[in-house]
Amino acid sequence: MVNVTVDPLTRIEGHQRISTEVDANGVITDAQSSSLIFRGFERILQKQDPRDAALLVQRICGVCPISHSLTATNALDDLYGVAEHVPKDALVMRNIFQGLNTVASHATHIYVLWGPDLANPAYRDVLTTLEDTGNAVWKEMVGRFAPISYKMDGTAIPAGTSYMAAIPEKKRLQEAIALIAGRMPGPVTPYPGGYTYKATVGDIVKLSSYYLQVMDFVSKYTLQVPFNTWIENTYKASSPDKAVKFVVEHLQGLVDKSLASNDFSREAGWGDAEFYAAFGSELVGETLLGLPASLKHDKIGGYSDPSKICFISYGGYYNVEDDGYDPKSPEGSRFITSGVVTGKLEYQKFDSDKITESVSHAFYDDSKGDLHPSKGETIPFTDPDKIVYTEGSKSRYTWDKAPRYDGIPGEVGPLARMLAMKEPLVTGLAQAFNAKGYSAANVYTRMMARIQETAIVANQLLQWVTVDYDPNGKISVPIDLNASKNSEGMGLWEAPRGALGHWVSGGSDGKVANYQAVVPSTWNMSPRDSKGIPGPLEQSLIGSKINPVGDVDYTNPVSIFHMGRSYDPCISCAVHTIDLTGKNSPNTLRIV
Amino acid sequence: MKNLARTLDSLDFLKLDRRTFMKAVGALGATAFLGTYKTDIVNALELAETKLVWLHGSECTGCSESLLNGGNPDIAQALTKLKVNLAFHETICAQQGIWNDGKLVNTSELNSEILLEDLYKEGNYILVVEGSIPNGPQGSGKYLMIGNKTFKESLGEAAKNAAAIVAVGACACWGGITNAASDVEKDTDYRGVAYKKTDASKGMLKELGIDKPVINIPGCPAHPDWILLTLGAVILGKIKIPDDLGDVLDEYGRPKVFFPPDHTVHENCPRRGYYDRGEFDEQVGDQHCLWKLGCKAPYAHADCGIRRWNGSVSMCTQAGGPCINCVDPGFPDSSRPLYVEAEDEGIAGTNIDTVAKVAVGAAAVAAGVHAVRRMKGE
Repeated sequence: MVNVTVDPLTRIEGHQRISTEVDANGVITDAQSSSLIFRGFERILQKQDPRDAALLVQRICGVCPISHSLTATNALDDLYGVAEHVPKDALVMRNIFQGLNTVASHATHIYVLWGPDLANPAYRDVLTTLEDTGNAVWKEMVGRFAPISYKMDGTAIPAGTSYMAAIPEKKRLQEAIALIAGRMPGPVTPYPGGYTYKATVGDIVKLSSYYLQVMDFVSKYTLQVPFNTWIENTYKASSPDKAVKFVVEHLQGLVDKSLASNDFSREAGWGDAEFYAAFGSELVGETLLGLPASLKHDKIGGYSDPSKICFISYGGYYNVEDDGYDPKSPEGSRFITSGVVTGKLEYQKFDSDKITESVSHAFYDDSKGDLHPSKGETIPFTDPDKIVYTEGSKSRYTWDKAPRYDGIPGEVGPLARMLAMKEPLVTGLAQAFNAKGYSAANVYTRMMARIQETAIVANQLLQWVTVDYDPNGKISVPIDLNASKNSEGMGLWEAPRGALGHWVSGGSDGKVANYQAVVPSTWNMSPRDSKGIPGPLEQSLIGSKINPVGDVDYTNPVSIFHMGRSYDPCISCAVHTIDLTGKNSPNTLRIV
Repeated sequence: MKNLARTLDSLDFLKLDRRTFMKAVGALGATAFLGTYKTDIVNALELAETKLVWLHGSECTGCSESLLNGGNPDIAQALTKLKVNLAFHETICAQQGIWNDGKLVNTSELNSEILLEDLYKEGNYILVVEGSIPNGPQGSGKYLMIGNKTFKESLGEAAKNAAAIVAVGACACWGGITNAASDVEKDTDYRGVAYKKTDASKGMLKELGIDKPVINIPGCPAHPDWILLTLGAVILGKIKIPDDLGDVLDEYGRPKVFFPPDHTVHENCPRRGYYDRGEFDEQVGDQHCLWKLGCKAPYAHADCGIRRWNGSVSMCTQAGGPCINCVDPGFPDSSRPLYVEAEDEGIAGTNIDTVAKVAVGAAAVAAGVHAVRRMKGE
C-alpha cells in the first residue's frame, strides 16, 4: 500500500489536497479530499445594508462572480418582495450575463484547466506502443492540448493549438460580459428589482458579433459537424437513444475513414469534442466504434454504490415569457430546471428543506450535530496544533463542510443539470453506461456533460440576445428599503460548477441579520459526514485506478488529476464561510 | 500619436507625468506600450529570459482571470514578446504537488513543489503575489497550507530569492476583502505582502523579517493593463529597483501613473456631464450621475475613466453601477455602504487625501448650484 497524495491540486480555483491509499494493482482503497484554506471574511454583511451583498459576495470567487452576484440578487429580490415584479427584460439581461459567464467558464475549464492533462506523458508511453495509429492519436493530443511552459524529458513542448486559440475566445466572451456589466471580473450591474444597465440596439449588434466570432472558434476547433446539426440531433432529439445513436453514427463515419489513413486531425473531421467523445471512453471508443485503444475515462471517477449519491440542480436561468419569477424555483420554472436525480437515475422534486450539513470531519466544533444550513453554526479551530491533514479518514482533515441532501451526498454541476433537465445526449450516455455495468457518472460523462451544456447555453444565448430582449423594455422596478425589515430571502441559482444557494434575513432595522450560502464545490469536494459516508469526489476516487491506462505508476497518478479536476472545483467558494447569524457568539462562524 | 510614440520610446514611462502618460500609453493600453517599446523589446529578445513566479495566497483568482481576460495582445503573446517564462502559476501550470508516502516524487516537469524548490534555488525571478496571507491562528499561518507548508512560510522563501516583488490585487496589497471588518479578523489576521490595510508595519514581509521593496497594483480586480505595463517596465529595466521606486510610487507603493494622487475616476467618468448639470439618478437603470446611488468615483485614485475595462468597452459607472473605489487600501470597508452617498454617512475610516476632499467639496457645490438653476428653470 502506498500513500499517494496530490497537494496542491493545481489548475483549479483555490487550494486543494487529495490524499489516497493505493494497493499493488494501482486501485485506490481510501481517499480524503481536503480544502486547505480558511478565509473567514464572513460577517462582513452583518448589520450592513443588504444591497451590498450582490457586489461583495462575488469576491468569494473571481472565476464565477456573476453567479454569486445573481444568486445574492435573487435573495434580495425575495427579501425586498419584488421577485414577482422584476421586469422581463431585466430577467433576460441577467440570463445573458450568466449565459456568457457559463460558456466562458466551461471553455476555460475544458481547454486551460482540464485539457492539459491529456498531454500527460503517461498517454504517450501507452499510445506510442500502438504504432502508427497510436502515434497519430498522441500527436493530436499533445498538439492540441499541451499547456504553456510545458516540458517533457527536458524538451520544451509548444503550447497546443486548441489551448492557444481558446485564450483569446475567453477574453472575447469576458469583453461581451463587460459590455453589459461594466467590467469582468467585478461586474456591477445586478441589483434587486432589476439590472442597472439597459443594453442598447448597438450593444445587441455587438453581442451578436461576439457570438459569431465565438462560433467561428467552435466550428474551427471544437465541433466539425455543423453546430445546428449537432443541436438538432442531440439536445433536440426526440429520445435519449436517438441522441446517442446520432453521435455514435457520426463518430463511426470518422473512425472508418481515419483508421485507414491514421489521420485524426481537424481537417479529417475530428473537432476536439468529436476526438474526446470517441477516444475518451472505453465503451464508446473501443466497444462501439472498434478503436484499438481509448483513454478509459469512463472507468474512473464513478460511484460504486448508487444508494450513496444523488445529482442536484437548484435550477438556473429564468423563463422570460413574462415579468417576475418564483424565488422557490419550482420544477419547470427555469430554463435549466431544478430537480434531484438518484444514483439509480430516478427523478425527484428538489426541496431545499432536505439539505443538512455536517462538520464532523472538518476543523470546527460540532457539538450540535447535523443541521439545516439556516440553523447551523460553526466554530473554527484556533489551536494551530489541531489543524493537521495527515491523520486519515477518521480524523478531521478539511475546512470544507459536508452538505447532504436527505442524508445523501450530492454531485452538482453540468452532469447533474443535464440529468435533471433530461437532456437527451447526456441522459442517453448515462443510461448506456448504467446498462453496461459502468457508473453512469464518470470522468467521461462529466466532461461530455460540460461540453454539451456549453453548446446548449450558447444556442440559447442567441435567442435571449436577438429575440427575447427588447431594448425599449423596462429594466428595473423601485424597491422599498423598509421592506427588508424582519423579512427573509432565498436565492437559488446555478453557477457554472453547480447548484448555488444564498439565504438572507433582515433585522428589525432593515439591516442584514443573517446571510448564508451553500455553494457547488462544498457539495462536490465534501469530506465524510457524521455517518462516515465519503463525499462525491472521495467516492469517485475510491475504487478507481490511479492510472487510467498502462502500468501502475505511483509517481504520476493521472487519474487523480482527472478526477479532481473533472468537478471543476472552486475552493474559495467551497470554504467562503459566510454566516452572519446575529444569534451566534462573537467567536462563532458558519462555514458553508 | 506616431511622434508621441517615438518620443516615448526613449522614456521611462512610469516616470512620466500622468497627463502625458494618459494621453499616450494610458488610453491605448498594453498594445501601445509594446509598440512604443519596440526597440527595447528587440533588445530584450537578445537578453536572457525573465522568469516569473506567480503565487496564489488567499484569493479568488479574480486577478489572474483579469490578466487572462485583458490586454491586447493577450497575455500569451505579451509573455512571448517580453521573453517572459511564466515559470510558475498555480492556476495555469502543468505541474501539481505529487507525494508518495510523504516524499516528493517525479520531476519538476510534473511536480510543482520540486519546480518551486528549483526556482527558489536559482533565484533571479520576478515574484508576483495574488491573494493575502493569513498570519493566524496564533501567528502560525495555518489557515492556509499548500504542499504541506504554510503559505506564510512559502512566501518567505519565494520573497528572499526574488529580484523584484509585485503584489497584484487588493488582497495581496493590503488584505482586501479578507481584511474587511468582522469578529474573526483577530483570529485570521490576514496580511498583505507589504501592508495590512494602511499599516506598513504589519505587512507579511516585515513579519517575516524580510526587507524588500514591493510594488502594489491594487484593485478588485487589478486591471490587466496595470499589471502588464508594470511588469513590462520592470522586465525592460525601465524602472530600477529600488532606486526609482521613490519617484514612481505613491505612499502606498502604487505606481502614480495609474493611481494618480491628483486625479480621480470622477474626472473622466462617462456620466460626468450629468453631474455638472446636477442630474442625478435615484433609481438604478437610468443614465444620469450615480452620486446619489453611492458612487465613490470622486475618491477613487485610478485611471478607469480613461482606460476603461475589458478592451475599453465599458467601466462600472458606464454600466450603471456606482464606483466602489476598489483601489483604496481600506477597501471594502472604506467604500461602505456601497449604495449610499458618502456625504450622508461621513467618510470616517477612509483614506482620502486632501486634494480629493477639496475636489469633492468644490464639485458638490458646483453641482448644487447647477441643480438649483435647473429647478428654477434657468
